[in-house]
Amino acid sequence: MSQIIVQVEHLHLSYKNVKAVQDVSFSIAEGQVLAVIGANGSGKTSTIECVEGLRKPDSGSVLVFGKEPMLHRGEIYKKIGIQLQETEYPAKIQVEELCRLYAGFYERPADWEGLLLQMNLAEKRKRTVSKLSGGEKQRLSVLLALMGRPKLLILDELTTGLDPEVRQNMWETFRAIRENGVAILLVSHYLDEVEALADRMLYLEKGKQQFFGTQEEFRQWAKARIAPEQLREADTLEKLYLQIVPKTTGITMEGIL
Amino acid sequence: MNTITMKRFLFTCKIEFLLMVRNFFGFFFGLIFPLMMLVLFGSIFGNNPVSPGSDLRMMDLSIPGYTVMVMGVAGLMSFPLTLAECKEKKIYKRFDATPVGKKHIILAQVTVNLLLTALGIAILLIAGKLLYQLQIQGDILSVTAAALLSIAAMFSMGFLFTAVGKDAKLTHLLCYLFYFVMLFLSGATVPAMLFPESIRSLSKLLPMTYAVDLMQGVFAGDSLRMHGKELLILGGLCLVFYGIGAYLYAKRDWT
Repeated sequence: MSQIIVQVEHLHLSYKNVKAVQDVSFSIAEGQVLAVIGANGSGKTSTIECVEGLRKPDSGSVLVFGKEPMLHRGEIYKKIGIQLQETEYPAKIQVEELCRLYAGFYERPADWEGLLLQMNLAEKRKRTVSKLSGGEKQRLSVLLALMGRPKLLILDELTTGLDPEVRQNMWETFRAIRENGVAILLVSHYLDEVEALADRMLYLEKGKQQFFGTQEEFRQWAKARIAPEQLREADTLEKLYLQIVPKTTGITMEGIL
Repeated sequence: MNTITMKRFLFTCKIEFLLMVRNFFGFFFGLIFPLMMLVLFGSIFGNNPVSPGSDLRMMDLSIPGYTVMVMGVAGLMSFPLTLAECKEKKIYKRFDATPVGKKHIILAQVTVNLLLTALGIAILLIAGKLLYQLQIQGDILSVTAAALLSIAAMFSMGFLFTAVGKDAKLTHLLCYLFYFVMLFLSGATVPAMLFPESIRSLSKLLPMTYAVDLMQGVFAGDSLRMHGKELLILGGLCLVFYGIGAYLYAKRDWT
C-alpha cells in the first residue's frame, strides 16, 4: 500500500472575521496527484498554505510525512518542493545565481544545469530575474520547486502565464515525476490541466469542502447535480465544472464601451 | 555551525553582497559618499585645531561623525529598505518554503550590512590618516565598543521602521526622513559646535546625536565611563526599538 504523504483532517482557518477554510479533510499518497479546484476566494491557497506550514490552522490537524509542518518546517522542507502562487525573487539576482543559492539549501540538490535545459532557460542563465518574461519566471519557479528532489510537490497555479506548447511539456514533465512516486498537490483554474494530471480532486466552495475523491467519482458527483438536458454539453471536465460552480455576477461592458 | 552550514551561509552572504553592489544605493552612500564628505568638508573647514592651542584638529572631530554617517546608511537605509522590499514582494515567503527559512537570509543581509559598515569606516580612517593625519587617541577597545553600540542603535531603529511600516512605502518614508534629518542635525556631517543654540537643542532629541558624541569622545581619548549618558541612551533605545519591533512582528501576519 502506498504511503500517505499528506493527511489533513477537519481543517479550519479564519482571517479576522472571514472563515477562509471550513472543515476540510483530504489525503495524498505517494505517486498521487491531487488537484484542488474552486472559484477565486474558495480557500484553495489558504488550504495549501496550511499544508506548507506557512499558516497556522485555527483547528484541525495537518500532517505531512507524519509530522506537523508548522513545528518541523526545516525537516519537512527537505522533502517538499513548492511553487507559490505569488512569488518574487530579488530583482537583480541572475538566474544562475538564484539556482546556485537554492541548490545550497539542500543536502542533495537536483542537477540544476539539467533542469535549466529542461525548462528552456539555459540561455537565460546570466540574465537578471527582473528581465525574464512572465512565462520564464514561472518556469524558473517550477525549477526551484524541483531543486531539492522533492517527495511532495506543491504547485499553486502551475501553468499560469505559459503558452500552450510549454504547458504540454510541463504536463509531460510532471507525469514523469509522478511515475517516480512523487506526490503532487496541484492548485489550478485550468480544468484541462486537472483532467490531464490529477487522479484525485478536492473541490472547495467559499472555504467549504464540497467533494474529495477520484476524478471519475467527481464526474459522477457533478453529473448528479446538473439537469439532464445539460449533461450532453458537459462532455469535458471543464464544461462539467462550469455547470456546478456558483455563477459569479455577470460582467457587462454595457454603458462602458 | 558545521562546515556545510557555514559554506551555505557564506555563499548567501556573497550573493547578498553582489545584490548590494548592483543596487548601488548602499554601496555608494556607505563607501563613497562619506569619503566625498571628508574631502569636501576638509577643504571647506580645513584641519586647524578646534580651539587655539588644542591638540584636537577639525578632522579629528569630523571623522568620528562621518563614521556614524556610515552606520546610519547601513542601519537606517540599506538594511531596512532591503528588508521592507523583501517583505512586501514576498521574497522571504519563498525562502520560508525551503529548509533554511527566512532567518538565514535576514541574517546574511544583516551580516553584509555590518560588513558595509566596517568597510566604510575602514576606508574613512585610512583616508583620514593619509589626507588629514587623523589622530585616534582613544584605546581600540573603547572605540570598538562605542562603535558596536552605535551600530546596534542604528540597526534597531531601522528594524523598528520595517516593523511599523505595513508597506515598503511607509518604511521608505520613515527611513529617509529620519536619516536625512539626523544626518544634518546630529553633528554627523557638520560638527555640532558650529550649530546655533536652537539647533543644538533640537539635535538632543535625535538618537544619532548621542552616537556622534560618543564616537567623538572615544576617538579623542575619553574613557567610556565619561560617556555614561550616551551609553545609557543608546543602550536603552536599542532595547526599546528592538522590543517594539519584535512585538509588532510577532503580532502581525507578514507571511
